[in-house]
Amino acid sequence: MAQDLGESQGQLPEEVNEFLVESHENLDRLDRDLVALEADPMDKERLSSIFRTIHTIKGTCGFLGFQKLESVTHVGENLLSKLRDGELILNPAITDALLAMVDAVREMLARIESTASDGEVTYPELIARLTEAAAGSLSGTVAVAPVLAAAPADEPTKVEPVVDNPSQSEALAPPVVATSDLASKVAAADAAKEPIEAKSVISDSSVRVDVGLLDRLMNLVGELVLARNQILQHTAGEANSALVATTQRLNLITSELQEGVMKTRMQPIGTIWSKFPRVVRDLSQSLSKHVRLELEGKETELDRTIIEAIKDPLTHLVRNSVDHGIEMPEIRSANSKPDEGILTLSAYHEGGYVNIEVIDDGAGIDPLKLKAKAIEKGLITVEQASKMSDREVQHLIFMPGFSTAEKVTNVSGRGVGMDVVKTNIERIGGSIEVNSELGKGSTFKIRIPLTLAIIPALIIKSAGERFAIPQVSLVELVRLEAEQAKVDIDAVDGAPVCRLRGHLLPLVKLSEVLKLESELVEDEGATNIVVLQADHRQFGLVVDHVVDTEEIVVKPLGKQIKSVNTFAGATIMGDGRVALILDVMGVAKAGHVVSESLDSRSGSVSESRGDYVADKEALLLLGLGHSARVAVPLASVDRLEEFETDSLEWAGSQPVVQYRNGIMPLLWLASALGVDAGDASDSKLQVVVHSSLGRSVGIVVGSILDITEEQVTLDPYGSRDAIRGSAVIQGKVTDVVDLTPLVEAVVGELVGVGVIE
Amino acid sequence: MNIGNALAVGENEHEVSLKVQQYCTFFLGDLYLGVAVEDVQEVIRQQEMTPVPLSSPLVKGIVNLRGQIVTALDLRHRFGMSAYEKPPMNIVIRADDGPVSLLVDEIGDVVELDQSSYEATPETVDKLSAELVTGVFKLQGKLLLVLGLDKAIQFSEAA
Amino acid sequence: MRALVIDDSSTTRMILRRMLGEIGFDDISDATNGQEGLDSLIAGPTPEVVLVDWNMPVMDGYEFVKAVRAKPEYDNTPLMLVTTETELDRIVAALEAGANEYVMKPFTRDVIEEKLALLGLESH
Repeated sequence: MAQDLGESQGQLPEEVNEFLVESHENLDRLDRDLVALEADPMDKERLSSIFRTIHTIKGTCGFLGFQKLESVTHVGENLLSKLRDGELILNPAITDALLAMVDAVREMLARIESTASDGEVTYPELIARLTEAAAGSLSGTVAVAPVLAAAPADEPTKVEPVVDNPSQSEALAPPVVATSDLASKVAAADAAKEPIEAKSVISDSSVRVDVGLLDRLMNLVGELVLARNQILQHTAGEANSALVATTQRLNLITSELQEGVMKTRMQPIGTIWSKFPRVVRDLSQSLSKHVRLELEGKETELDRTIIEAIKDPLTHLVRNSVDHGIEMPEIRSANSKPDEGILTLSAYHEGGYVNIEVIDDGAGIDPLKLKAKAIEKGLITVEQASKMSDREVQHLIFMPGFSTAEKVTNVSGRGVGMDVVKTNIERIGGSIEVNSELGKGSTFKIRIPLTLAIIPALIIKSAGERFAIPQVSLVELVRLEAEQAKVDIDAVDGAPVCRLRGHLLPLVKLSEVLKLESELVEDEGATNIVVLQADHRQFGLVVDHVVDTEEIVVKPLGKQIKSVNTFAGATIMGDGRVALILDVMGVAKAGHVVSESLDSRSGSVSESRGDYVADKEALLLLGLGHSARVAVPLASVDRLEEFETDSLEWAGSQPVVQYRNGIMPLLWLASALGVDAGDASDSKLQVVVHSSLGRSVGIVVGSILDITEEQVTLDPYGSRDAIRGSAVIQGKVTDVVDLTPLVEAVVGELVGVGVIE
Repeated sequence: MNIGNALAVGENEHEVSLKVQQYCTFFLGDLYLGVAVEDVQEVIRQQEMTPVPLSSPLVKGIVNLRGQIVTALDLRHRFGMSAYEKPPMNIVIRADDGPVSLLVDEIGDVVELDQSSYEATPETVDKLSAELVTGVFKLQGKLLLVLGLDKAIQFSEAA
Repeated sequence: MRALVIDDSSTTRMILRRMLGEIGFDDISDATNGQEGLDSLIAGPTPEVVLVDWNMPVMDGYEFVKAVRAKPEYDNTPLMLVTTETELDRIVAALEAGANEYVMKPFTRDVIEEKLALLGLESH
């Protein structure tokens, strides 16, 4: 009958579509409202808003002939009108019933979307529950606990749909999820509504636009930017002032248009956050935890493609924080923390980036436990573990295979690990890090670019080819003239390195990494170094020429080349030719300036059996005396310094130098290792600065020979404390020295005699 | 040679039998090859190509096709032949995930062939070529090899 | 013929627009709540009829009717209330406040047409 009414009225697909969009939008708000209402059950305005949402859905169902949906929302409306009129007061049982209703409505909407009908499921149990609640009998229940305890732990509020017609049940069984297209439309519409809700008076002057159209516009703007770049190039040497002026205008208009179109694709992050109050509530209920969710900066805008991309990783992080971060209430109170844990989501702009933080005030990450777990899983060795800083240890949770194994299907698990979160975020050019304090809580910080489509880039040339480098990775440009390069670059075979303001910057020649035949202009002799940031490391990329900076339109590469991870995409230059965009991380890995991260090490562990073979490690090769050579891990070197012998002072029997507004004790490596230092006639002291226990100690060496990358074989019989193992460097077996015990001994001694505090 | 005209002729013939299939033909070394015209987006002259370092040797480079980045594949290499002797032509193929260009020595005519004369690849075709070919048409004096696009476009990194 | 549709549900607005269009209205504007409707009414040319939803945020149908009836220049503008059967008790209040007619959701085009005829608005 209802169907008949619908058809007789000429129920139109666009009206159904509108209904779906509108209802999804309303339901998202409803989730938020219901959760907020729990905190303040008497909030009149929210109650009216919730009532109106269900009322609207119910009212519209009649037109469209969705009878099942109408009957569910009808009982819901009844219950809500009693709540609104103060006849009933909200309690957790009623909230659960209402949330179950919202779920059922979503299910029916999904069904409508895929089959154009609300199906045969009638939800008698839900209707009974809502009716009961409206009659006040559910409200009498003092505690929700029994209801929850009886339900399966993971889905406490699930209502089993009952099917009228068993023959159709199979077809209906899998709940259909709204297509992403619709979802994004909903999100877009939601975004448009947000400010209105806040002010709730100003009339709605926004329109809904198909996201497909926005994408096409964005592509066209991309093309326009290219054409603009070409024209700019053609008119560069132009004398015709009218043409130059017009070009300038075109330039400005294009930039403004680009900015405008980009803005249309921006959505507040609140569009994906709106689901979290519900997620957090359901999850904390099922875990019997008390969690308060706080959202900061939900108006922060991001490109919609990025919004889509971070939705899942962010959801995982939120679930993870509720599940693993925030403790059970009894544990919290035992540690004199409030029962209720606080989970804060915070978003803010910084430069061309958006930072999103997921902060909990929970237990924090215990580095010891984490290490133990990683060792147990064979992800790292005991040896590696002992050398890791707390910060490094915390990042173990992003290793593949770390977070997945435990409680896979349950709460935050869902078969997805933190490594997937990390990968997904890195895929869109973002990064994630964790900062945790034991007992105080953890902060996950995601940093992502505002948009992916058009980026500022540095154009460089190497071996005659142009390449674009995203400017976000650019730290600085260094040009060393021939003379200077000789001094500052230590380039023996192996890995070249550049001294830059006292730091050692590993160098990577782009032509070498890309196996190009470099036409490096030897006669000019100058070296162009593009200093780049890859993860936590900086490195210098040696290129032939630095051309210019330009706004480039990022275009994807075909699948035949996607696997080449030194490239992030391609772009079309002003002359119409294609230039490849470098993937800075990929280049760094290919140039061995960052290790392939911990994950690659995990592979070699099992083969090594006892005598552990690490991956290649960057080593600083030092000369001691006439012929002795040792190596120290480059990672343990803070800086390289040179001091005049004259600047040497004594504090008691301890040689020191003044260094950075303080006093730095010195340690002669040769004597510490019992090696003949030879003649120390040099007027300058070559010093390797190493920090340990919060103090810097200068290690005086004979000479700094080279930086190289070698495989270090750990000596299981490590006879001397400070010798970590050995490596074959340039054909010679060389001891690899661990500076930490040496330095700690010195620092400990000095603290003991009061030379330093 | 002029593919545009050939296509236009084909479209004007309303009574095209279902069994008839048009092939865009081309030459690669000694081979006479063809792909179904539906799979061909366009044929363009040699474009300015940007090489892609570290990619498979089968990737000759990438070109700008009206704002779209298209990968150009070295079909001679695919067939185990030596390098191109003259600037190759691009046959732009409509692939599932965007156009891909096949570099060929020379473009032939569009031919209309009866599917009933389509045959399995004979033993005489060398093994490497046979793998990339789905079947043949025996024409007067020459053999037209039908290129298997899936194989020609997709390849493992090791290839 | 001109009509103003005030409803917070975009679907209902769409449906009403379609029905009114079929009936012969060629100039239909809409608003999402009473306040917006009032602004639109004052700003634009006076419509032949206003269809106004009962339950809306910011300003509901009842407040809207009262506000319009407080303005003598709209004395001759018919106001039709769009409600549901759960709001029956409120219809009386609205009619007392000055609404001329009402329809209950869900309704068909014929129902609207009939009600419009009662207001002296004949379709073409």
